[in-house]
Amino acid sequence: MSEKEMMIGEGIKFERIRRITGYLVGTLDRFNNGKRAEESDRVKHSVSGSLEHI
Amino acid sequence: MLTKIIKRDGREVEFDRSKIAEAIFKAAQVLGGNNYEMAKDLAEKAEAHVEQAHPGIVPTVEQVQDAVEHTLIEHGHARTAKEYILYRAERTRVREMNTRLMKTLEDLTFKDAVDNDVKRENANIDGDTAMGTMLKYGSESAKQFYEMYVLNPRHSKAHREGDIHIHDLDFLTLTTTCCQIDIVKLFQDGFSTGHGFLREPNDIQSYSALACIAIQSNQNDQHGGQSIPNFDYGMAVGVAKTYARLYTKNLAKAAEILLDKVDMEERFKEIKARIYAETGKKPLLENSGEYCALERPYLAELVGEEAERLQQLAIKYAERETERATYQAMEALVHNLNTMHSRAGAQVPFSSINYGTDTSPEGRMVIKNILLAEDAGLGNGETPIFPIHIFKVKEGLNYKEGEPNYDLFKLACKVSAKRLFPNFSFIDAPFNLPYYKPGDYNTEVAYMGCRTRVMANHYDPSREITCGRGNLSFTSINLPRIAINAHGNVEWFFEDLERKVDLCIEQLTERFKIQAAKKVRNYPFLMGQGVWLDSEALGPDDSVEKVLGHGTLTIGFIGLAECLKALIGKHHGESAEAQNLGLEIVGYIRQRMDEESKKTGLNFSLIATPAEGLSGRFVRMDRKKFGTIPGVTDRDYYTNSFHVPVYHEINAFDKIRLEAPYHALTNGGHITYIEMDGDPLKNLEAFESVIRYMKECGIGYGSINHPVDRDPVCGYTGIIDEVCPRCGRRDGEGVSLERLHKLGLYRNLNADTLGYHGDAAEEADRRPNSL
Repeated sequence: MSEKEMMIGEGIKFERIRRITGYLVGTLDRFNNGKRAEESDRVKHSVSGSLEHI
Repeated sequence: MLTKIIKRDGREVEFDRSKIAEAIFKAAQVLGGNNYEMAKDLAEKAEAHVEQAHPGIVPTVEQVQDAVEHTLIEHGHARTAKEYILYRAERTRVREMNTRLMKTLEDLTFKDAVDNDVKRENANIDGDTAMGTMLKYGSESAKQFYEMYVLNPRHSKAHREGDIHIHDLDFLTLTTTCCQIDIVKLFQDGFSTGHGFLREPNDIQSYSALACIAIQSNQNDQHGGQSIPNFDYGMAVGVAKTYARLYTKNLAKAAEILLDKVDMEERFKEIKARIYAETGKKPLLENSGEYCALERPYLAELVGEEAERLQQLAIKYAERETERATYQAMEALVHNLNTMHSRAGAQVPFSSINYGTDTSPEGRMVIKNILLAEDAGLGNGETPIFPIHIFKVKEGLNYKEGEPNYDLFKLACKVSAKRLFPNFSFIDAPFNLPYYKPGDYNTEVAYMGCRTRVMANHYDPSREITCGRGNLSFTSINLPRIAINAHGNVEWFFEDLERKVDLCIEQLTERFKIQAAKKVRNYPFLMGQGVWLDSEALGPDDSVEKVLGHGTLTIGFIGLAECLKALIGKHHGESAEAQNLGLEIVGYIRQRMDEESKKTGLNFSLIATPAEGLSGRFVRMDRKKFGTIPGVTDRDYYTNSFHVPVYHEINAFDKIRLEAPYHALTNGGHITYIEMDGDPLKNLEAFESVIRYMKECGIGYGSINHPVDRDPVCGYTGIIDEVCPRCGRRDGEGVSLERLHKLGLYRNLNADTLGYHGDAAEEADRRPNSL
């Protein structure tokens, strides 16, 4: 098999570290259903205009 | 004559009339009856009744029991009949419990965690492993046992029906939640883990190893997390010892290399010991000049005029080597805390370390290197899950330019922007500052894991300190349910809230009595080794009642946002009116806690519940009960404590300003999160400004969330949407070796070595990133 054909990483998933209720978890697979839903609902908080506030 | 009967499980067995007589006799006995012959006679009549009502078939247990009831009433034994019915109901309940338990155990055994929410209740336990499952067997059985036989039925009912949630119910009769471990005190003169004695450590490597062992040992004595409140101060002692040792070692090395004087180390050690005995001085990381001056005359006797030059070399190398040893010790600590197991091997200890305020050169070296070790990550660069790092921010020490640890605050921001830790705690918050005494770590607020805080002490007001204390147990109130039941009547809401608070206080108090009846030997490390405040004065058979009062009894709450939605149609992120009402609600519970503390001399406090296992439970039950109510029960979770809902669009600074006042009210613990978009490493200024704004607003404890993704194949860490920015593969896809080679990865990999994911050559090249 040549280098071109040789594939690495099939079946290997990306790790996604998230914080839920204070703890980091390395994979979303171990979150319970409520926590999964909460994580997927999160919106980002804009940090623009910071200087006006301080 | 009946000969057969069908049991509940469907099996047909021999009919035994004496069993019926026995049951009737037992019911009669409760009322003072003792006529077994009459019971036998009634049993015969009941049997006849069955045959008459169900001729020619084999009756079921239920049919026989119905006949018994009928017969008792018919023959004027109404009261006995009532007892019999009660007896039957009780047996049914026990049977159902047994069935429920068996069903739970069956699911644990035969379902994967993917399909079983119970197995995923706690994300840090792998429910699919043998020990993880064993842990769940124990936990689920204990819960059902307590519900049936130990808990006050009122508390059990409220818990079962979801009005309140008794946290860590599986440990109800066993232990308490958590503790802040004072490692400075623990390491003095060594300690015992119960499986062997460990001497006082003499080197930073052993200090870090023992810190892990202390956390692990204590984790086995309690059901919550473990925290070190004074990590920098504690480890600094080890750094100082390491430096003093390396100084003398390098002095001897220099003498050998430059002057050909061999085996001088023992002689130099003697000099060091003599100087220490006479003056109390040792070689120090900074200001070694003073010690060197004292040492020089003794040294000159052995090496002549080269003494000073040897000293300079020794200082130079000792500094360098101490720094390296400290980094390695911190790296080992992070690795250990992510790999060591406790609790039957199923769980990594929930560990937290607080640091940031020790301004000594040794303390600074510890802080810098623990941050660098966190930045470097684990063996393949993975983000460490534990310990939780908490950087203590304090004006005068590390908050402003020119303050001694300001550089470390900046470093902490940079590491947190990459790794999510450290979190930031704020000693200057108005409710933390009054306890603070400069230079005394015991008065610096420290947080535990996800948020727990302990500071005031009604049990012993002279001990308003951090170390050796923690939470004893906590119970959360389902706020949205009260609000739904209130139908917009705020007055009624507060009346019912009062009832729920009463119930929780009663339940916490009853649990405290169970906990306080335990003996020192039930907590061999926590109490046996004097980790808990004042426990060193107790013997192994003493009860812990006298010292347990230093801990907190805590009420928590879930879903303030949904509660406000249900009450007035808006949550506190949406309207000022809702914010005011929110503060009134949380303020009311806090006021009750203060009153109860004053009344009892125990530490009742209020926590912003972290909701590890609870985020879905309450809402599931409420949706079943009340249906889908928009903004209230229409999601699969209730919002964490007082947080503005995660789905609500809001500016970071507004969120901080809205949540800050709740920090002042929740004296049992709190945390505020901000979700930052993009890679905060590329916008460190904004990251820092968010942390600074938290401090200025009086937040007690906060952190910034941002996505941390990693591709294990090419090692890329950062944000990965669909496609890995480095190697271009999608989740689960392969990438060609040719492409990886072009990226300079997998250089040693060819057809013969395929199978190993990770590039040994690249790994060996890695250095801690300079910052």
